[in-house]
Amino acid sequence: MNLNAWFGQKQALKDINLSIKTNSVTAIIGPSGCGKSTYIRTLNRMHELVPNAKISGQVLLDGQDIYASNMDPVMVRRRVGMVFQKPNPFPTMSIYDNVAAGLRLTGANKGKNLDEVVRKSLEQVTLWDEVKDDLKKPGTSISGGQQQRLCIARAIAMQPEVILMDEPCSALDPIATAKIERLVVELKRNYTVVIVTHNMQQASRVSDFTSFFYLGALVEFGETKGIFENPKNPLTEKYITGEFG
Amino acid sequence: MSRIIDRGLEEQSVLLTRMAELTYETLALSIQGYLKGKSVAPEVKEMSAMLVAMADRVEDKTFELIARFQPVASDLRTIKSYMKIGNDFARYGRYSLDISYISDQVNGLKECETWVKVYIQEMSEKVLYMVRISIDSLRRHDMTLAKTITQTEQEVDKMYLDYLDKLIKEDQTNSKCVLSSALMTRYLERIADHATYVCESIVYIATGEKITLT
Repeated sequence: MNLNAWFGQKQALKDINLSIKTNSVTAIIGPSGCGKSTYIRTLNRMHELVPNAKISGQVLLDGQDIYASNMDPVMVRRRVGMVFQKPNPFPTMSIYDNVAAGLRLTGANKGKNLDEVVRKSLEQVTLWDEVKDDLKKPGTSISGGQQQRLCIARAIAMQPEVILMDEPCSALDPIATAKIERLVVELKRNYTVVIVTHNMQQASRVSDFTSFFYLGALVEFGETKGIFENPKNPLTEKYITGEFG
Repeated sequence: MSRIIDRGLEEQSVLLTRMAELTYETLALSIQGYLKGKSVAPEVKEMSAMLVAMADRVEDKTFELIARFQPVASDLRTIKSYMKIGNDFARYGRYSLDISYISDQVNGLKECETWVKVYIQEMSEKVLYMVRISIDSLRRHDMTLAKTITQTEQEVDKMYLDYLDKLIKEDQTNSKCVLSSALMTRYLERIADHATYVCESIVYIATGEKITLT
C-alpha cells in the first residue's frame, strides 16, 4: 500500500497500490526499467539488500506489514520465496541438497522427514521422475530447464505462501519454457504466484491478473482477459500492441 | 516505424473493403432485378461465389495473423471483427442469390398488386441504405455513423412484421405473389440484421464493448 522505493536518490517505484489475490497468478509486465523487478523484490524484503536502497509504505502479508519492526526478514523470505531469471542452483551441492538446503539452513526441517520433503518438492515441479536416480549428482549437471524447476522445488520445499518469479523463463528454450508455464499454473493451487515477464504472451497464458508498470508507476491492473482484450489505459494498449518507441 | 502486424492488418482491411463494394453491387443488382422483373441470377451467382471465396481469404488471413503475431487488445478485436464482417458480407451475397432465385422462379412482383410493389420498393431502399451505412462505417471506422443504423433497422423490422400481418388479414389469393413477396421481405429483413451486425462490430473494434444496435 502506497509503496515507494528508491535506489539512492532515484525513485524506482511511485505510490504503488496493488492487491494480490490468494491462489492466483499475477503477472507484472512493462518495459525495461519500469520497476517491475524492483516491485517484486519489495515483496520479500530483498530490495533492502541493495546498498542505499530504501522503501516507504506497506507490504501486507495476511494483514501484517512485512516491514514492521518486529518482522524478521529471514522469516519473511521463507514465507515469500523467489525464483530468479537465471537458474541458480548452489553449484557445489547435489540435486538433493539443493532442495534440502533452505530447510537445513533455517532449521525448518525439525521433526520432518527430509527425504519426503525433497521428494514431494521435486514431484510438484515434475522433476522427480527425471532426477530420482541422480539425486547425488551436482545441481548444475542437469539442463537449464531442469535447473530452473530445481530452483522452484528449492523454493517450495520451504512451504512458502507466495512464490515470486522474476522472468523465470528468459534463459530457457521453448520446451523448457512450456514446462515452467504449466508448472506456474499448477502451483497456484497451493501458492500465490507473482511473475515478472517480458513475454506478454506468457503473461496472457499463465496469469489470472496482470499489472502494467511504466516509469515506476502502476498504470493498469485487472483480470488478464480484460487487459489483453480491452485495456482501459491507452498506455497499456500501446505497450501490449507493440506501439511503444 | 510501423509494426510488422500493421502490414497484415492493412492487407485484411483492403480485402474487406473490396468485398464491401462487391457486396453492395451484388445486392443492388439482385434487388433491381427482382423489382424490375429482370433475370440477373447468372451474374449474381458468380458474384456471390466471389464473396464466399473472399470471406475464406479473410478467414485465412485472420488465422495467419493470430498464429504469427499473437495479437492483443485493439489488434485482436480488429482481426476477430474483420473475420466476422467477412462472413456477414458473404451472407449478403447468399441472400442476393436467394432474391435472384425467387425473381426467376416466382416471377418477382409481376403478379402482385401495386401497393405490394411500392411497399417492397420502399423496404429495399431502406435496406440498401443500411448496407451503405455498414460499408461506410467500416471504411472510415466510424463508430458514430455505425450507431445511426438502429433507427432504420427498427423501421425495417416493423415493415417486415406489418407485411406479414397484411398478408394474413387481407387474405391474398395470388399464391405466387404471396410466396415471392413474403420471401423477399424475409431476405431483406435478414440483410438488415447483417448490416446491423457489421455496425456492432465497428463499435466493438473501437471500444471493446459488445453492444446491440437493434
